[in-house]
Amino acid sequence: MSHSMTSVSRAWPALTATLLLLGLLNGCGPAHVVVEGKFPAPLIEPLPLTLGVWYGDDFANHEFFDESKSKHESSWIVSTGVAQVQIWDTLLNGMFTNVVHLKTQPTAGQPIANVDAVLIPHVEELQYAIPRHTQIKVYEIWMRYRFDLLSASGTPIAQWGMTSYGKTPTGFLQSDQEAVNLAAVMALRDAGANFATNFSRVPAVQDWLREKGVPISSEPQ
Amino acid sequence: MISARTRTALTCFGLCLISACVTSTVDEMVYNEPTEGIGDDSVVILGRRHASDYETEPDFVSCVGDYISSGDNSITVIDELTFLNAVYPWFEPRTAPLHPADIERLLKQKPVAAKMADLKVEYMIWLDGSTERTGGSGSMACSLGGCFGFGTWSHDANYEATIWDFTDKAAVGHVNTSATGQSYMPAVIVPIPIIAPVQGTACDGIGQQLLEFLSSEH
Repeated sequence: MSHSMTSVSRAWPALTATLLLLGLLNGCGPAHVVVEGKFPAPLIEPLPLTLGVWYGDDFANHEFFDESKSKHESSWIVSTGVAQVQIWDTLLNGMFTNVVHLKTQPTAGQPIANVDAVLIPHVEELQYAIPRHTQIKVYEIWMRYRFDLLSASGTPIAQWGMTSYGKTPTGFLQSDQEAVNLAAVMALRDAGANFATNFSRVPAVQDWLREKGVPISSEPQ
Repeated sequence: MISARTRTALTCFGLCLISACVTSTVDEMVYNEPTEGIGDDSVVILGRRHASDYETEPDFVSCVGDYISSGDNSITVIDELTFLNAVYPWFEPRTAPLHPADIERLLKQKPVAAKMADLKVEYMIWLDGSTERTGGSGSMACSLGGCFGFGTWSHDANYEATIWDFTDKAAVGHVNTSATGQSYMPAVIVPIPIIAPVQGTACDGIGQQLLEFLSSEH
């Protein structure tokens, strides 16, 4: 009994030191945000086409890392991959009558069966700003995308870029991580809105839709 | 039996509470007021999110909505996020209509027109503005024995509500509210924050004017 008491009393300082060290390490580690949100289906008439979609590893596991520039700032990791796949799946399923997830990476010149075209999205850049950086009470996320649209025969139809932006105000008892997550969700919603309303305005896409005999509706913008 | 010291402390606390006051101004200009209320139709209240340096707070938008629906149970106020999700992507900051005339073009989209009819939206109210902290002074020192000092700061709230009639596709009213308040935090061992309810006062001011516009009972 006395032996076990001694062991416990000896273990306490070590346990306390370990917890303190873990706490310090946690405090010093980067702020990590895994973006989570719910994304609504778009309220639009779907295009009567079958779209193949390929999410590359860089897209499906997209992560942004910003290393701190001083001792007073923390590094940031913003993981958007899961949320990217979630919103683009929801959006494309609402925009096209049929969406097929490709199992192998499409390559130029290689035909793809049972689709009208293949869309490959890429996140090229992500930037963020928090009130500590800008002195204004909003958190901001900015993203730049690139899209490749290939025909069923594997020939490129169009390649275009698109930006999205999301911001959220500071909130009472809201952590930086929660606010960055909200700003990222807003940026993803904005990406979906931008894509849905401008897809048929991309000149090369417009030509392709005409070839397919798809009527291009006038949009309320 | 309350001791003299307790009575003094309570008096001081009461005086401090009284001094955390808010000054508020409301300007209103409305036309075509629905004389018999809005019946079975509904109202949606949305925050404008176009400015780069501020954002209309979602909690302010829900505060105004709650004020209206609690003031008249017969008015259906659609929750902002529920509406934005139902009509996605047409009311996002990038795509939201900026002028009443834009509604016509929006309703050319058959799914949007059907959804609006389903939601029975009669009035759309846009709220634009924010509450900002405008200054602060004082100092406070805290140690193991407690905190001592005094701090004060002020908040300014400025909001504008624009009412759109969805049937007539026209703006039928504007309500402006501004509120200013000074908050205090005296500290004698324990800091006691005395917060001026600036945003809440602005919410009540704008909510009351909108309630008078929409309700037949007010």
